[in-house]
Amino acid sequence: MLELSNVTSYYGKTPIIQGMSLSVDKGDLLSVIGRNGVGKTTLAKTILGLTTRIDGTIRVNGADVSHMPSHRRAAQGLGYIPQGRGILPKFTVQENILLGTFARSDGAQTVPPLVLELFPYLAANLTKRAGTLSGGQAQQLAIARALATDPKLLILDEPTEGIQPNIVEQIQELVIRLNREMGLTVILIEQNVEFAQRAGNRFVILDKGAIAAQGPIDALTDELVQKHLTI
Amino acid sequence: MSVNHFWTAFAFEPFMNALLIGLSVASVWLIAALGLAIVYGTMGVINMAHGEFVMLGAYSAFVLETVVGVPFLLCVPAAFVIVGLIGAAIERGLVRHLYKRPLDTLLATWGLSLVLIQGVRLILGPEPKNLQSPAWLNASLRVWVFELSWFRVFIFGVTIAAFVLTWWLLHRTRLGLMVRAVMQNKEMAAVHGIDAGKVFTLTFAYGAGLAGLAGSMFGAIKNVFPDMGSGYIVEAFLVVVVGGVGSLLGSLFSSIGLGEIYSVFAYFTNGTFAKFWLFLLVVIFLRFRPQGLFADAMARR
Repeated sequence: MLELSNVTSYYGKTPIIQGMSLSVDKGDLLSVIGRNGVGKTTLAKTILGLTTRIDGTIRVNGADVSHMPSHRRAAQGLGYIPQGRGILPKFTVQENILLGTFARSDGAQTVPPLVLELFPYLAANLTKRAGTLSGGQAQQLAIARALATDPKLLILDEPTEGIQPNIVEQIQELVIRLNREMGLTVILIEQNVEFAQRAGNRFVILDKGAIAAQGPIDALTDELVQKHLTI
Repeated sequence: MSVNHFWTAFAFEPFMNALLIGLSVASVWLIAALGLAIVYGTMGVINMAHGEFVMLGAYSAFVLETVVGVPFLLCVPAAFVIVGLIGAAIERGLVRHLYKRPLDTLLATWGLSLVLIQGVRLILGPEPKNLQSPAWLNASLRVWVFELSWFRVFIFGVTIAAFVLTWWLLHRTRLGLMVRAVMQNKEMAAVHGIDAGKVFTLTFAYGAGLAGLAGSMFGAIKNVFPDMGSGYIVEAFLVVVVGGVGSLLGSLFSSIGLGEIYSVFAYFTNGTFAKFWLFLLVVIFLRFRPQGLFADAMARR
């Protein structure tokens, strides 16, 4: 589904991720964990083509996207839920969801019914300005927008960060459901090890812009967590 | 001018006409400013060559009319298309390479304006050309105390149509959704499949086309000459800055406000003195409200 081979990714002239090789299979939920500033978000941005440039190759479903601009990568089936959610505040809820439809390959231009079904609050507030939503609602909107792209691979960057506690669990369950029930392949970037462990079937630990450890989720031992995640 | 003749006393009928002329001036300034407002608001590019797109529109109409023999009313939309295409080429060839360097865009488009002025002067000569409009457009229309030439009414109509069309494109079409998405957050637009480069080319071309449209009409009110653009660019910038960058509605209200202020001052004194007061008032206004009338529409980059 997704394959990075020997990828080095730069912001300006500075390499942030160095020589990273990684593969995600169809149906996987890969938990990406690591301390702050080790390159987790940069990994997501690298896959989407938002860093300055890369060396190495990135393949999505066998297609080489290494030098594709972001808007064409989106059309390859990458759904992105960025850190901080990236909602367009001046757009209505509906316009934000419709933004996702530009990446669809089937040309559909309306809010997908699945999205309305998953998020009743959004369905009831389609004309509301997105800038007035709470953190949890905005996160739902970001997920709704990514689902509107009809993605094959969903990349979530800390989906529960800065969200009121009663919504956190809802979003966690939703992420798991999208993977288990709807068969979406997911890359989940998480600080919360407990959730990363519960949701993922595989894990990657990043440290200093490189992979420090990876494997099936059972291999994520307390010792590894201790070594790479505690400060 | 003697002091005695400096002030004009109030008289009902001429004063009402001054108000009407204010609206007419507003429509001229608005159509000159609309393209500038869209390009500035969407792309963050201050196009110093905007006045020269107006000039190119006038020359397009002139060449079409005198060389090809196209009737004037068809020259107006044709100028939109021609200058739009020129704008697309300039975006692809020049402006595109400077998005990350806004100050350089300022210099580059200024340089471009000089090239365009001198280029036209070399090819078509420095002398003013005459763009003919149909006789009925030059007749006057009289309603109650108001008197206005049909040509002014025509410009007024075209401006309103262009404004409504632009608003509709931006707020009621998928294309407009793409433009507004790029305007707010280029990265987020891109990861959702929107080609920001294409959007910028289209936007710049559309803005240039509007300037061309304006030029084809301005050329017929006055003359067509190589540096005619500079006569409109200052007012166009005033309209955009006072209205609030990136706000169409702001440009509409500021053009009406500025046009009326100018016209009323011009009625009581004269055109030169009115410009002086207009600029002074704008400076004072911007001192207290630097973001303009409608401020929030622009994502700073």
